[in-house]
Amino acid sequence: MSKPVKKNAIDYFIEGARSGWTIGTTSMLPNVVMAFVIIRILNVTGIMDLLGEWAGGVMSLWGLPGQALAVLLAAFMSMGGGAGMAAAMAVDGVLTPVHVTILAPAIILMGALLQYMGRCLGTSGSNPKYWGWQIGIAIFNALIAMWILRFLLLFFGDSPAAA
Amino acid sequence: MSSEGTQKVTVASYVLLALACIIFSGVFAKHTPDSWWPAWLQVFDFNILNGSFGTIAKSTNNFRGVGGVGARDGFLFALNLCPSVILALGLVKIVDGYGGLLAAEKIIRPFFKPLLGIPGITGLAFITHLQSTDGAAAMTKELFDDGHITDEERTLFTTLQFSANGTITNYFATIAGALQAYFVVPLGLPLVVIFLCKIMGTNIMRLILKMQSKKSTGAEA
Repeated sequence: MSKPVKKNAIDYFIEGARSGWTIGTTSMLPNVVMAFVIIRILNVTGIMDLLGEWAGGVMSLWGLPGQALAVLLAAFMSMGGGAGMAAAMAVDGVLTPVHVTILAPAIILMGALLQYMGRCLGTSGSNPKYWGWQIGIAIFNALIAMWILRFLLLFFGDSPAAA
Repeated sequence: MSSEGTQKVTVASYVLLALACIIFSGVFAKHTPDSWWPAWLQVFDFNILNGSFGTIAKSTNNFRGVGGVGARDGFLFALNLCPSVILALGLVKIVDGYGGLLAAEKIIRPFFKPLLGIPGITGLAFITHLQSTDGAAAMTKELFDDGHITDEERTLFTTLQFSANGTITNYFATIAGALQAYFVVPLGLPLVVIFLCKIMGTNIMRLILKMQSKKSTGAEA
């Protein structure tokens, strides 16, 4: 039987880079394109402005504009969608770099929860009695993370108050 | 992947793990004449390694241009992001390949029970969940089926996994890829916050379980 070939750092890098390319083109790219199209729809229909007005009060608790709610809702469905949405809004100038930084951990912490109910909680056989709590906790984690980031930003020169 | 179980944890594993933490922390991102460290250490910074696109001749913009909207703009924007994802996952794979993630498991394993209320035997599944949602879920089921963890411990462990599942892969593939250009903090900082919140969330669930078991004990009495 032949011995398995030992991989070196370059082999590992190429392997990871290849998976990065696959994720980038087959997962991130479609998600970003979808997000840009949704943003276009929201802008053309005027819903984005309405969202800014309606959700402005709540989102201001985290120093964010109302439109940021769309990012969190998209993240709940898919992390890539949430990140794409945030990127598209940053490109449009709706979100500033400070807003994007505050939103980043929340996109991951409450990201793709709908999918993960099946893929994580379902597959592991986790007790369904606590699924509701687990979803609530994941969202709570995201909200707290945004406050922590907002606080940490005080030490990085870009005060959230200026956002 | 570390879950393949073919790797050994060596000194190199710890060195690479530490190096990865440095690269993603951004400590060597900016060098000024007043910096205490030599400029060449910038090679240990993710953004320095990531570089930048050139600009189109007689313009200040790269190939994406400005003023685009809709799907076409989204396509070029996403293409813009691919190098970060490729670089980040390439670097993570080197660390993983040399047992860096297993080294991380060895470091954190003793803290599992006091910090999260789950036994150290879940360490490998924990490391797996950083990269693979499905792999970790399957391993968790196996741990329960083999009697290594109780139903309560499984609930705690899945609470930890559920929020920010596939943490490392998702963070570097989506956040680092799509948003790091806008970050006003080092790339590693939001990741630290994510881990802190995961631990916090698990402990909230720990509290809920404790309260429920007290309630049921009280009801029985």
